[in-house]
Amino acid sequence: MALLETQDLTHIFPDGTVAIQNINLKFNEGEFVVIAGANGSGKTVFARHLNGLLKPTKGKVLIDGEPITKNIVETRKKVGLVFQDPDSQIVGQTVAEDVAFGPENLNLPVDQVEAVVKESLEAVGLSRLSTRSPHTLSGGEKRRLAIAGILAMRPKIIILDEPFTGLDYPGVVQVLKQIIQLHKTGHTILLITHELEKILAHADRLVILHKGKLVEDGKPEDVIYRSENYGVRMPLRDGEKVAALTWLK
Amino acid sequence: MTFFHYIHRDTVLHRMDGRFKLLCMLLLSLSASFASQLQHYLVLLFVVTLALLIAKLPFKALLKDLKFFGILILIVFVVNAFNIPGDPIPNFPITSISLQGVITGLRFAARLTIIIIVCAVLTGTTPLMTLRNVIEWYLRPLPFVPEVRIATMINLTFMLIPLIFDNFAEMMKAQKARCVELRKNPIKRINFIVFPLLNQTLRRVDEIAYAMEARCYSEVRTRAVFKSNKIDWLLLAICLSVFLFVIL
Repeated sequence: MALLETQDLTHIFPDGTVAIQNINLKFNEGEFVVIAGANGSGKTVFARHLNGLLKPTKGKVLIDGEPITKNIVETRKKVGLVFQDPDSQIVGQTVAEDVAFGPENLNLPVDQVEAVVKESLEAVGLSRLSTRSPHTLSGGEKRRLAIAGILAMRPKIIILDEPFTGLDYPGVVQVLKQIIQLHKTGHTILLITHELEKILAHADRLVILHKGKLVEDGKPEDVIYRSENYGVRMPLRDGEKVAALTWLK
Repeated sequence: MTFFHYIHRDTVLHRMDGRFKLLCMLLLSLSASFASQLQHYLVLLFVVTLALLIAKLPFKALLKDLKFFGILILIVFVVNAFNIPGDPIPNFPITSISLQGVITGLRFAARLTIIIIVCAVLTGTTPLMTLRNVIEWYLRPLPFVPEVRIATMINLTFMLIPLIFDNFAEMMKAQKARCVELRKNPIKRINFIVFPLLNQTLRRVDEIAYAMEARCYSEVRTRAVFKSNKIDWLLLAICLSVFLFVIL
């Protein structure tokens, strides 16, 4: 049984715009999946359905074989979503306060909240910045803070929506290392991006959405050569293999 | 923009129990509202300036940011100066301004300035989540009051104010870069700012709401634990003394 599954998932906005249409996908435990697509292909809308933030016009999302609507809080604990713009995810005025937001929502006792905040900040290497204002952090640190905020909910699946947008080279490397570490510690990773050259070497699977439809799903080395048909840059040069597609040395 | 942003420092005011701090700030704001004599304003200005210095908040940056409120303070002063009837100011060319009006205008301007500084000290030394928890703590005993919801709304409002100011400053710079000052029609200039700002703010609010929901926002939350010490009581006593000095 798949850990997370979408069946005929369709979302049509009130103005009639079809954001995603009949998407059937299964994600297994421990997988590292890159979901690519051009702007407006429906990636973010798709991600928000997996966390139960949007209600489908048609179709459903299942987690452990059960519809996510059965227990939405449990779904959001299991499926962590890191937003594209970390500033919109930050609600605390200190780093520690922001990480505590999720566990406090779960009504955990104060000592447990403190423990989970400490643990999450350690996991992303931000312990020394716990009293800093999040808005003074660098781009890479903000993304790691957003990840810590999600880790504090102890999710099984982590969805990262365009985690490299607006980051400089050191920022991308920081975030990339963090994502790989999360995968190593057993998390299922769904990463939304169109910058395949930064990450694809680490992925087990590449999914491409185009104009709201699922058009490709397979091993990166099989799918990558067709990516440009859907507005996603094919980053391989002659003779290069998918293993070269990483910004980690 | 430094105003309304929490600035982490290790000071007495930063460590102060949030419940006491809010009470102190309320007492000082009330004192400013009731102040009627020059010595009241001087004492209050001394206390709030001292608080700013103790909190080690960036004094110059705050002063610079005060220009955003300058217009408001100026309007308050001018409206009072022109509208309060009284004796004309000797040897002053504008006869419609009264001496009593100027004095009242100065009083209101001073009150507003003190309250703004009090807010700056409170928000600069208190993380929003603490402030939120304090408000919730004070509202909890009241029956039929949804204390968690109110506290969250206040928290979000305080969170958005500096973001709106930051966006405003950024938009102004971007428009200056395209020579907006050459447009002489003030209504058009306001239009260029208000609508994009409103649009951006609403989008941001939408994103924040989604982000909170994604992290299981709930009104049944972990309750904060507060601890007070002798210094908190001492600071409260000082603020209470100032309040009594003003009203008695």
